[in-house]
Amino acid sequence: MAGQTSCCCSGTKSKNVLLYACSGGANVAEMSDRAARQLMREKAGMMFCLAGLGADLPNMIQQAKDADLNLVIDGCPIDCARKIFERHGLKNVQYVRVTDLGIEKKKGVPVAEADVAKVVARCKQVLCTT
Amino acid sequence: MKKLQILGPGCPKCRALAANTEAAAKALGLEYELVKVTDITEMMKFGVMMTPCLAVDGVVKSAGKVLSPDEIKKLIQ
Repeated sequence: MAGQTSCCCSGTKSKNVLLYACSGGANVAEMSDRAARQLMREKAGMMFCLAGLGADLPNMIQQAKDADLNLVIDGCPIDCARKIFERHGLKNVQYVRVTDLGIEKKKGVPVAEADVAKVVARCKQVLCTT
Repeated sequence: MKKLQILGPGCPKCRALAANTEAAAKALGLEYELVKVTDITEMMKFGVMMTPCLAVDGVVKSAGKVLSPDEIKKLIQ
């Protein structure tokens, strides 16, 4: 988890957006993670801990419930992250799947910057229309 | 005694949540201790990313919102 707390107290942020990346070992997971980190650097939202939700940690589930939006980036059609959110019955969620962007899932290959950019662009599109 | 914890750096919305929490606790006649957690390291132990937060006995009940006293009553009683 990132060592930074997002404070809504300044009143400058209109939405509390939490970002979650696939935690798998394939290229699409790396793209998901890098896209989420880039979005966080651009202040589109704060990365949050998917494993914490998977582990049913109450404090983390509560924060996901209270967020204005949870943006979940799954790597592939196995949709592990989506299943965690569905299990918790969370409705304030939007999903992006990396393989839906025409990117093939592979292991042990370097990630192309252009593919990360595609994921970031898709996420921004979702954020702008939600 | 309930431990009511307000997590946040201490800016106006954090203070508003603390005031509303105190008002709710008093209205309910609760025995409580109100603690303001402003240290980032302490906040991170709660797994908190959005403040202000209200936690009751260490369990986060609300994050990133300034709740009204009536909303808080439902969470702390």
